Amino acid sequence: MDVKVDQQLDCKGLSCPMPILKLAKEIKGMDSGQVLELLGTDPGSKSDVPKWCDKTGNELLGTDEEGGVYKFYIRKN
Amino acid sequence: MAEKEKSVWLELWSLFFSKTWPMWIGGILLAGLNVCLFLVKSPWGGSGTYISWGENLYQTLGIMHIPALKNIITHPYGLLGLLTLLGAFSGALLGKEFALRIPPFGEIGKGFIGGILMALGSTMGIGCTIGGFLSGWASLSGGAIVLALGLLIGSYFALRYLLWEMEALPKLSSGKSVTWLAAKGKVGIWQPILGVIVILFLLIFFGQHYKDNNVLAMFALIGLVMGLILQRSRFCIVRAFREPFMTGESEAPIGIMAALIVGLFGFAIIKYMGIGTATPGAARNLALTWIYPHFWLRALIGGLIFGVGMTIAGGCAVGALWRTGEGQVKLWFAVLGFMLMAPVSKKFIVPGFAALLPDWAKQKIFLPDYVGYWGAVLIFIILILLWYGFVKWNERTGKFSAI
Repeated sequence: MDVKVDQQLDCKGLSCPMPILKLAKEIKGMDSGQVLELLGTDPGSKSDVPKWCDKTGNELLGTDEEGGVYKFYIRKN
Repeated sequence: MAEKEKSVWLELWSLFFSKTWPMWIGGILLAGLNVCLFLVKSPWGGSGTYISWGENLYQTLGIMHIPALKNIITHPYGLLGLLTLLGAFSGALLGKEFALRIPPFGEIGKGFIGGILMALGSTMGIGCTIGGFLSGWASLSGGAIVLALGLLIGSYFALRYLLWEMEALPKLSSGKSVTWLAAKGKVGIWQPILGVIVILFLLIFFGQHYKDNNVLAMFALIGLVMGLILQRSRFCIVRAFREPFMTGESEAPIGIMAALIVGLFGFAIIKYMGIGTATPGAARNLALTWIYPHFWLRALIGGLIFGVGMTIAGGCAVGALWRTGEGQVKLWFAVLGFMLMAPVSKKFIVPGFAALLPDWAKQKIFLPDYVGYWGAVLIFIILILLWYGFVKWNERTGKFSAI
């Protein structure tokens, strides 16, 4: 994903609901327009993260998968 | 021709395994299979699996002696749970989602403690989210309504704890983690291939092993299919209780409501008609299937403890099984804690505690005895509609949602 990442959040190995709880907390502490890269390994994140972004109005710029690690790029609204 | 055929099979694979199924589809299918289990022998449940596994472990180690103990593949629920786990393993492989995911140390501890609490809660409340709540509501049990209230309160407080923990003890959920055996690129095709092999092996092995035992053969088959559906739809009762207080999303609660409605009609018909029974006495026994003496305080306390445990562990009795099959090591420890504590709690802790409770706190309430079958079904439909109304209203307003 070709985008400038401002912060990274490592949720590898964590099970539901920890990635979403941490994501919400991390985004809260960021400035509007900044981009967060979230790394996770819970297959549930593949649908949970887009839904959460949709609901909270944060923009999901793109997703990626590399060797079982799911990556999400989220711009804070 | 060959190219075309390949695309047809790829299409079939994509249809079922490239995406997560909507949870309500999982709910309807699982409830249908639950009705099948009831017709075969008795309804779906989760905690019986752990009691069977734990008792067998203690017996093997020589720590407990349980007369006439059935081994885990001869005990219907020991078998059902094992096949659910293996079915979920196959489902994860088919969807290229299997990997050993070893979390930071603190998460392993939370899994284990959550498992212990679920063991205490399910032996105290008599039943877990599946046997006590999902099958319990379908069984028209009064105690099951109170159990659900306990689960709701427990998961609310455990979620508050998780939010607090993230601020106060961030180290518990951060640190070193390891992911092994994930499907990588084209080589990752080994997962779907292995998934097919595992399913074929299980079908042949248990089909052959139980060719003279219809009930166990069906429990094995249904367990396998349930595991697949659970993993593919990520059917999760923890989410149904927790989500309104967390993100406010309604998908999980609605998935569980779909399962409740289907189960309710299926069970009510079986009980009302006395299907498979010849005498009024047998029909009465059938009607009282899974109506436990836990109304109301016993169910409330048990549900509350279970609700805390499942939310900290991140999966209920059955949720822990399918996530274990998917390779989430946190839930392996939930399974371990649950099976280590369940026989101990059942034998040494709960009987003494339950004896202290007065009779009004542990009654057997079969709602049709009070309001008839129509009235009982109506009560549950009203409860489900009220729950739906709350969940949808909260999804829009976010009044009760923390994030």
